[in-house]
Amino acid sequence: MKQTTIGGTKRKVTNALAMAGLVIIFIAYMFPFLMVVINSLKQKRDIIKSPFSWLFTIKGLSFDNFVKAFTQMDFLNAFKNSLLVTVSATVLVTLLAAMLAYYIVRHNNAISRITFALMVASMIIPFQAIMIPLVSIYGGTLNILNHRITLIFMHTGFSMAMSVFMFHGFIKGNVPMALEEAAYIDGCTHSQTFFKIVLPLLKPIISTMVILNSLAFWNDFLLPSLVLTDKELLTLPLSTYSFYGTYSADYGTIMAGLLLCVMPILILYIVLQKQIIGGVVAGAVK
Amino acid sequence: MKTKNNAKDFGMFALPGLFCFLAVVIVPFVYGVYLTLTDWNGVSKVKNFIGFKNFAGVVRDGQFWTSLLLTFKYVIVVVVLVNVFAFAIAWLLTRGMKGQNFFRAGFFTPNLIGGIVLGYIWQFVFSRVFVSIGESTGWKLFEVSWLSDPTNAFIALVVVSVWQLSGYMILIYVAGFMGLSEDVLEAASIDGASGFVKLKSIIMPLMMSSVTICLFLTLSRAFMVYDVNLSLTAGAPYGTTEMAAMHVYEKAFTSRQFGVGQSEALILFIIVACISGLQVYFTKKQEVEA
Amino acid sequence: MRATFKAKVTAAGLILALMTTMLTGCRFGFASDPDDPNEEEEVIPIDTSVDTFEYDSSLEGTSITLLNSKAEIQVALGEMGAAFEEKSGVHVEVMPVTDGDSPYTKVVSLYNSGNPPTMSILDTTDVIALAEEKAADLTEEEWTNEAEEYLTEVNGKVYSFPLCIEGRGIIYNKAVIEEALGEAFEPESVTTLGEFEELLDKLVDAGIEKPVSVAKEDWSLGAHHLQYIYETYDGTSEGAQEVIEKIKKGNLDLASYDRLSEFLDMFDVLKKYNVAKGDPLGADYDEMAIDLADGKTAFWFNGNWAWPNLAEAGAENEDEYGFLPYFLNNDGEDFANQQIQGSPSKQVMIDGQIASEKEQAAAKEFLNWIVYSEIGQQMLVKTCNVIPPFTNNPYEPADPLSRDIYEKVQEGRAFNASAIVPNDHWAVLGAAMQKYLAERSDRKELTESIQEYWDEQE
Repeated sequence: MKQTTIGGTKRKVTNALAMAGLVIIFIAYMFPFLMVVINSLKQKRDIIKSPFSWLFTIKGLSFDNFVKAFTQMDFLNAFKNSLLVTVSATVLVTLLAAMLAYYIVRHNNAISRITFALMVASMIIPFQAIMIPLVSIYGGTLNILNHRITLIFMHTGFSMAMSVFMFHGFIKGNVPMALEEAAYIDGCTHSQTFFKIVLPLLKPIISTMVILNSLAFWNDFLLPSLVLTDKELLTLPLSTYSFYGTYSADYGTIMAGLLLCVMPILILYIVLQKQIIGGVVAGAVK
Repeated sequence: MKTKNNAKDFGMFALPGLFCFLAVVIVPFVYGVYLTLTDWNGVSKVKNFIGFKNFAGVVRDGQFWTSLLLTFKYVIVVVVLVNVFAFAIAWLLTRGMKGQNFFRAGFFTPNLIGGIVLGYIWQFVFSRVFVSIGESTGWKLFEVSWLSDPTNAFIALVVVSVWQLSGYMILIYVAGFMGLSEDVLEAASIDGASGFVKLKSIIMPLMMSSVTICLFLTLSRAFMVYDVNLSLTAGAPYGTTEMAAMHVYEKAFTSRQFGVGQSEALILFIIVACISGLQVYFTKKQEVEA
Repeated sequence: MRATFKAKVTAAGLILALMTTMLTGCRFGFASDPDDPNEEEEVIPIDTSVDTFEYDSSLEGTSITLLNSKAEIQVALGEMGAAFEEKSGVHVEVMPVTDGDSPYTKVVSLYNSGNPPTMSILDTTDVIALAEEKAADLTEEEWTNEAEEYLTEVNGKVYSFPLCIEGRGIIYNKAVIEEALGEAFEPESVTTLGEFEELLDKLVDAGIEKPVSVAKEDWSLGAHHLQYIYETYDGTSEGAQEVIEKIKKGNLDLASYDRLSEFLDMFDVLKKYNVAKGDPLGADYDEMAIDLADGKTAFWFNGNWAWPNLAEAGAENEDEYGFLPYFLNNDGEDFANQQIQGSPSKQVMIDGQIASEKEQAAAKEFLNWIVYSEIGQQMLVKTCNVIPPFTNNPYEPADPLSRDIYEKVQEGRAFNASAIVPNDHWAVLGAAMQKYLAERSDRKELTESIQEYWDEQE
């Protein structure tokens, strides 16, 4: 009896200490974001001369940066483009990767093994190494750049390896063969089995991959900048280019623009938070 | 499964995804390898086959090897710090503490923002915010910008990388900890295993699969660091923080030696492939069948 | 479970609050402060009533693209394109070079994508690299007569259109100097390095502790500072080329090359009085503009492209800013101590490989329009705020820095020499200069790096 009490107090103390440490680390961790939010409301001069000063000590605090960023970015149009590209590419890659991974797990043949090995290896190809060949094939030879569909296709291709890798791990560990066998006995075809039995079981890893891929597509800069040049097609990150000058950057507008870009995904993140974290947790290992 | 359906299965399940992957990643990569054997400069109409001349250029490019050495140093530090930090935080976040979901979500936030932008934010923090704190408090630590001294700039790069990469790793480790069955841990406690022994002989072996994947992800991402390198230091001061991937890019485009740059990218790929391969092989061996 | 819910509600509430304040924010912001330097500058009116330019009606409906690598005129170019479209029916799409990309990388990737811009605004070195392979021959264009001194030739042919003249030197803020010294300041009275140092000492005595700003950026150090050693060889582009050839071939011993040691003498002076002396590599570009406008410093080594930064920091068009030469020695007769450097920097190249005849013709019309139409002439000077290299353009730039260079060019107090160096010159030797600026290397090491760099070039 006595022992448990001592253990309990000790545990309480360590817990409190751990909590305090965690809070400190967390604040340090969030510091850059705090700086962005604070400075997005200031004017350039104040940002440069006193980046750390708090809002109420600054004269001329305003939302001008947001208004300016909103109009200069052509926010609504860019938002529409980003949404279209992100949603289509995410749906496409999630579905195709799940099917491919399922095939690899269930067919232990040479094609599966080679494909999987190739995919894992490709995850470490530096993008710079294929940048120029990529544009010279798709632009020079096929001439299909500057279309949203090309960008969606490329996003799908580039995130395929990582997605298959994650699905592969999950299916191997969490989808029992027995269920499928039962389905076949009931007369289901392979595709029926996959869509009715297997896919629902993949829900946790699907939500993980959806969020990871859509984040990557939403934020990507380099690939869209190579594929899209038409003003009408620009995605959100591309539309903030004009805030970075050759000699100096327009900090206030950049930070406001950044917050505008992140806002939609942040809202989604807060709404889906539990599923996202749960999904990563369920899917990441095995 | 049933072999007669194999071809149909393959066409239906594997082909679409495989096609995207091959068309976007592998074909350009192979074409890129071919380009290393030519004298193409990125612009000209003719490509002459010149064999391994570009690789001779790589050998002569002393700066490449310096940047590679620096990259190794960076990778070691980052991989160790990210994993230790993420492991520790994940452990804290699975103790049933108040608000742990809030923290888990918070630590994931750097993943919500793209790499180039993250670098710019931090550059602003290091060169303006910290210096202004230094000015008003007189703290020696922040007296001069970290980015103007080679050692401090390297540290800054490491700090930002750890910050950026750890959020995701925390979640993977959290997953691992939640997969540990309480029974095993309780049994260990009853047997009187102390904290450290428990960690070393019971928790670690069970966590090895998480460790494998985290090491693989941090290794490859650290080796290919580019976005943050470019936007945080851009190699400054005087080229002392230029990592391999950035050097490759600079070689191909700023110095306009496209073939040499492309060859260096290939060499970088081979090195990363070997090291990650070895890492996965060795850590897999440590995993216990659960 | 309850904790998550609470966190979710709190976070959603915060976002909601932020959004609401964002939307209603404009009303209670302090944006209309009269001293606010961020206030929109008034738009300079362009007189479109007179237009004697002859448009080729067969080109109507053509659409061409213009890749812009001069970020500060991105918006202005868009306006110019729109004005041109209204008159000619040719649509000009202005594409920016995005951050993190060099203009050259962008052009190369666009050529590889089979969709190159009809026109590209590039640096001179880029034009030379691409000219014979990609560019349309512009030797026969009429405007070549209006800008004879500012043409770039590749093997006797002109492939590019000089868009603007840019000049650089030591920017001064006259009011600050006069206030500190309590007497009138005549920029012409400073003619040698010795006199410049004397002036700096006087300013220090008057309370301006560190009167000079030196940017740490490698393009500033490697291109704008260091290239004086080539450009002041005899003040011409040919001379600069000659001295570079000599260094490359090893016919010129850098250690005893007087322009290099003189350049370093001047650089040492700037270094000594540098406002960021404590942490020269931590200097911030935007802060330098603010310091000069506020009077914390009196000098800033830079070019006329710095005006937007100064204006943002509160400088007005009526203020007296101007350039002092980059003094090299104590010989008052040396042209380097009397003149500032001013030469064409950005060039427009027309694609001659993929663009159709019609597109090329439309691009040529656009360039002619800039040179010969009343609207184009005005917009180049007033909207883009650049110094036109064309002698027939009657408009004068409005900001004091451009005006100063414009006047000096007119009066023959500027020399036009541009050194054509490899593309990585500014990056490689900029790093060597940073090292020297931070006092982590000495003259000997810097000299060796320069020699080494040139030895590696074929």
